[in-house]
Amino acid sequence: MSIMEYNGGAIIAMKGKGCVAIAADRRFGVQALTLGTDFQKVFPATDKIYFGLAGLATDVQTLSEKFRMKVDMYHLREEREITPKTFAHMVSSTLYEKRFGGYFCFPTIAGLDAKNEPYICNMDGIGCITTPNDFVVSGTAENQLYGMCEALWEPDLEPEDLFETISQALMNGVDRDAISGWGGIVHVITPEGVITRTLKGRMD
Amino acid sequence: MARRYDGRTTIFSPEGRLYQVEYAMEAISHAGMCIGILSKEGVVLAAEKKTTSKLLEQMQSHEKLYKLNDYMCVAVAGLTADANTLIHYCRNQAHSYTLSYNEPIPCEQLVQRMCDLKQGYTQYGGLRPFGVSFLYAGHDEHHGFQLYHSDPSGNYSGWKATCIGANTTNATALLKQDYTEECSLKEAISLAVKVLAKTMDSASIGSDKLEFATLSKNASGKIVYKPYTSADIEKLLLDENVKKILEDKEKDA
Amino acid sequence: MEVLLGITGKDFVLTASDATVARGIVVQKRGEDKSRALNKHNLMLFTGEAGDTTQFAEYIQCNTQLYRMRNGMDLSTKAVASYVRKELATSLRSRNPYTVNLLIGGVDPKTGTPSLYWLDYLSSSVKLNYAAHGYASYFCMSTMDRYWKEGLSLDEAVNLLKKCLEELKVRFIGNLPKFVVKVTDVNGIREIEI
Repeated sequence: MSIMEYNGGAIIAMKGKGCVAIAADRRFGVQALTLGTDFQKVFPATDKIYFGLAGLATDVQTLSEKFRMKVDMYHLREEREITPKTFAHMVSSTLYEKRFGGYFCFPTIAGLDAKNEPYICNMDGIGCITTPNDFVVSGTAENQLYGMCEALWEPDLEPEDLFETISQALMNGVDRDAISGWGGIVHVITPEGVITRTLKGRMD
Repeated sequence: MARRYDGRTTIFSPEGRLYQVEYAMEAISHAGMCIGILSKEGVVLAAEKKTTSKLLEQMQSHEKLYKLNDYMCVAVAGLTADANTLIHYCRNQAHSYTLSYNEPIPCEQLVQRMCDLKQGYTQYGGLRPFGVSFLYAGHDEHHGFQLYHSDPSGNYSGWKATCIGANTTNATALLKQDYTEECSLKEAISLAVKVLAKTMDSASIGSDKLEFATLSKNASGKIVYKPYTSADIEKLLLDENVKKILEDKEKDA
Repeated sequence: MEVLLGITGKDFVLTASDATVARGIVVQKRGEDKSRALNKHNLMLFTGEAGDTTQFAEYIQCNTQLYRMRNGMDLSTKAVASYVRKELATSLRSRNPYTVNLLIGGVDPKTGTPSLYWLDYLSSSVKLNYAAHGYASYFCMSTMDRYWKEGLSLDEAVNLLKKCLEELKVRFIGNLPKFVVKVTDVNGIREIEI
């Protein structure tokens, strides 16, 4: 077993028309044993940027706290909002700082930039960024999620349709992974604000 | 006489004084005045900007008022360059605390951390003390809204209303006279404007010479830091009828 | 073979730790208290590598008490748990990390609201209503899933704990004759017999 599969988890981000969505499961477990069903894997960086961390739970927590501090300090020093692209590079360089003996975490970032253009990306544990223009997936259910997203995603989805698409992709993807699931959470980021909904799922 | 004992910060004079520290405080008493007023509903910080010129590039950033984290802000009197490094240190400390404890730092602890650093520069050799005084406005769950003052020696104290910089004697007298503990945030703002108008040297007061900010609770109980824009300040000066205060001042003189 | 259990109730946290110290196949002691009071309202239970456990627990205990002396106020349960997580996470990436699993239980001294944090040696921290460490989690989590509910009274929580210990007696191969059971509430931390 890889250390990336110790706690389990699944994260997706999708582009829509003038909006982006990011979703994650809510399980916290140690290998096959489920302990918590409200574990946070997606975090707000700003009002318009969310990031998800898939992998070892301890690094999910360490990194989320680290990024919270870095983003806060950025805002105080620069006196402007960080853009998704800048944030992605902040995440990337933070990971690459620990190139040897790194964090066991694959981040996913979703946000709207200053012109409200959608931005999504994900990266590996040492900060190599990929920026597709449809969707990104990571976590132990990655393969299943790829299948679901390939099947369901289409261009120019409106916020509500994007919500439905990402939710269906998540819920059905994690059902075929033993260590992801136990409910989900979806954030749809629109220029008007963020719509956050929790999903009920199979609790077994 | 003084010469012999003020070359270094670490040397006491025969009268038991640290001249460099006192000079640092002297530097502050020439800086633009900052006023802090505490009310039950929040804290007001107001400051007078000294470096105003038509030719000066108007920067987005503030010169006298800075946010430290979501729950604290400071007003600066003294050397701005010194203040910048101290504020960076302070922000780092505040966020390191949150990184460790997942809670905002209690106000007094942040003030203490800043003062520990300042004190170090009055004791270790070869270094000049920071020529900055701060007024800290903050809120925490332990003591609600708070107002602190710290000086270059590393001393700090909590206040209901206080001021630092030039003309503090007059301003303090005015604050003592007019401050009431039960005042609302709005009354505290009015008092700050009034004291500034009465004590500032210049004959006219505009948004170019003032900085203003409040720290208060919004309807949902969240702490908000509100730095005033130039337009906000102009409106405030109009609402508080500053023109009349200035005219009265002129007449008295 | 070590066991830690924690259950939150209406205004308290009930915790139990087995009292056995064993090394290899030999039982060395049967009356060990595997917990330390961090401050008046927060208790930390620990298992793991012998030596690491008490060393780490007492380091945390000293530091929370130092915090109180320096700042004239106590850390909340959430703050303590965050602090411990930070220390453990830093240690995890050092040359010789502490191998300890922890439960941190406490109440808010003003409101009496209980909270219980579960931390493993990797320093993952989760806030749970009931928690278990060691092999006990395989036996007791399901029992607690079934019987735990919001706002348990102390009697109900003790009964639930008894059910868990009974389950261990019946199905667990290990022999754990004695448990140290403690209640943490607004009045402080006290040991009880069940």
